[in-house]
Amino acid sequence: MTDVPAIVPADWARLHAVTPVLAAGRAIGVLTIIGMAQAGQGGLQGARAVGAWLVFGGIGLVVVLVSVLAFVAWRMNEFRVDDDAVHQRKGILFRQYRQARLDRLQAVDVVQPLAARVFGFAELKVEVAGGRASGVRLQYLRLDDAEALRNEIVSLAAGIRRAPAAPPEGISESPVALDAPTVPVVATAGRSSIAAAPEREVYQVPPGRLIGSVLASWWTVIVVGGVLAGIVAIVIVGAVAVEDAAGDAVSANGGVGGFLAGPAYGVLSGVFAFFAVGWARFSAGFGFTAGISADGIRLQHGLLDTRRQTVPPGRVQAVRLRQPLPWRHFDWWRITINVAGYQDEQEAVSTLLPVGPRKDALYALWLVLPDLGDPDPAGTVSAALSGVGAQNGFTATPRRAWLVDPLQWRRRGVLATGRAFLIRQGLFARDVVVVPHEKTQSLSIRQGPLQRLLSLATVEVHSTHGSITPVAHHLDLADAIALLEAQSTRAREARARQTPEQWMATVQR
Amino acid sequence: MPWFEPTDVTWTYASRRLIAARLIVGAIPVLLFGGGLCAMALLIGAAPAVTISVCALLAAWCAWVVVRQVTAHGWVERQDDLMVKRGRIFRRVTVVPYGRMQYVEVAAGPVARSFGLARVQLHTASPGTDAHLAGVPAAEAARLRDRLTARGEARLAGL
Repeated sequence: MTDVPAIVPADWARLHAVTPVLAAGRAIGVLTIIGMAQAGQGGLQGARAVGAWLVFGGIGLVVVLVSVLAFVAWRMNEFRVDDDAVHQRKGILFRQYRQARLDRLQAVDVVQPLAARVFGFAELKVEVAGGRASGVRLQYLRLDDAEALRNEIVSLAAGIRRAPAAPPEGISESPVALDAPTVPVVATAGRSSIAAAPEREVYQVPPGRLIGSVLASWWTVIVVGGVLAGIVAIVIVGAVAVEDAAGDAVSANGGVGGFLAGPAYGVLSGVFAFFAVGWARFSAGFGFTAGISADGIRLQHGLLDTRRQTVPPGRVQAVRLRQPLPWRHFDWWRITINVAGYQDEQEAVSTLLPVGPRKDALYALWLVLPDLGDPDPAGTVSAALSGVGAQNGFTATPRRAWLVDPLQWRRRGVLATGRAFLIRQGLFARDVVVVPHEKTQSLSIRQGPLQRLLSLATVEVHSTHGSITPVAHHLDLADAIALLEAQSTRAREARARQTPEQWMATVQR
Repeated sequence: MPWFEPTDVTWTYASRRLIAARLIVGAIPVLLFGGGLCAMALLIGAAPAVTISVCALLAAWCAWVVVRQVTAHGWVERQDDLMVKRGRIFRRVTVVPYGRMQYVEVAAGPVARSFGLARVQLHTASPGTDAHLAGVPAAEAARLRDRLTARGEARLAGL
């Protein structure tokens, strides 16, 4: 275990030695299953045995090859953390050098896939702004090391310089010896000098509510309806078959079975799809806990694969609160966010609240925007969540828009508070999109021929890559034009006073 | 209600040479397609005059659309942002603050280059920002790129 980074490495270090085992493990597992299937199917006697042994030999060779490759890949994969960036160099034939600049840091996640979690290992993902595949993935580290490294990276990105000596545990939250020159951290027992910033839990999602939210979906309606229809079909086919049998002594049992197989197969595949979708939601949202710390928003969730996300202050680009129709009775909301660093696996990384009552939804929004810039934030957000028309200062879509938008026009409306822009939409599934003014990238106004006849226009607020696309459809043209001008002024002013990228730097001085 | 037209700005319009460039690029598929149609019409003995006139009408309409599009495309550098407008039937105005520009890209295809034109593409951190200036004279494109980059650097804010 000499290669384990016992300290947070200022010099090149390798990942944990278990990496090749875990990396090759999956491939070997698949091959083993194939081998087993082969053994079960073909048997090992007679002339077939030679072929089977050949297959086994081949599989064995591939296993050895995969293991060797995984080992070499691990030897070639090194990383280093300095005051400005996380560096990584890897690759056997095609060498890759990556640096994730800490001043562009957007999020740091500690991910534990099931296999790694069983043995206490984790993967660290450092997400930075800068397009596809710009982040650094450190796979795998001991869980303690991964968390220590995360704390270190986050505090470096916050603008806290490394202290020359490790402050004692417990008072490490208070920044000590900040003007000290940059010295590599010396720490003991695999922990860095910087403990995790104290975290305050804001909300949790109990498993019961999560199961309820999965069940209260259109899928349930479809599956239950499908099952009922399938049962009815089976009964009818069965009854007809029985009548046939009564009439004709030579009953075609196979025929009846064939008739029954159709609907039964349909029912089963529907049920499987339902469980697959429901399971994905359930296992990703299981044990969801959100907290706030000096490092920003902390999210923790997952049943088999777990993920601990840290999103520093001011990194959330847009927020969407959504309520599918089946949830309306319970007043539940799902909240997703756009974060610039998160590129793939949007479903897994962009959830701020998988399901929660309005109270939790307001807390979640508060995590992102502690100050909405509105005298009555709760009332305004409530009006956004379930209101229609021009109440609470919303600029509503005019009535004539029903010609182009018969369903949603009544719900559509926009509101700019002191700090954020709210878009309200959706008739059956209610939708509210919130974009902080300082996160507005650019703006557009557009109009098609039908909108032109009705004197309507659509305003787009461009946010970073993610699952949220904020667009305010079918506003009155005069409102839209005024909005475009006002919003670009608001965005400019908000940019001038936005949180610095190094969010603790101003606190220190 | 008139369309969004700020009063205190003077738009720079795309070069008229862009019309010719676009017509040439657009003519290739039209000629191939129309030629094929006429050949088929001759082969099956249908009236080629009808086919030719239909093709000619289509081509004329496309050409007219190109002219209208190019003459509607313009931009203006304001104090804090760049405004780009385009389209007539589906019209759109995009406002890109200088502080949000991540980088500026200048590109030119072979036809555009022979007309001395280039395309200036602005990139922000958002994939939704559809702000490119087509039909910029090459020298002006280089100047524009430098100017926009300088302004962007002066005002660049964090994401």
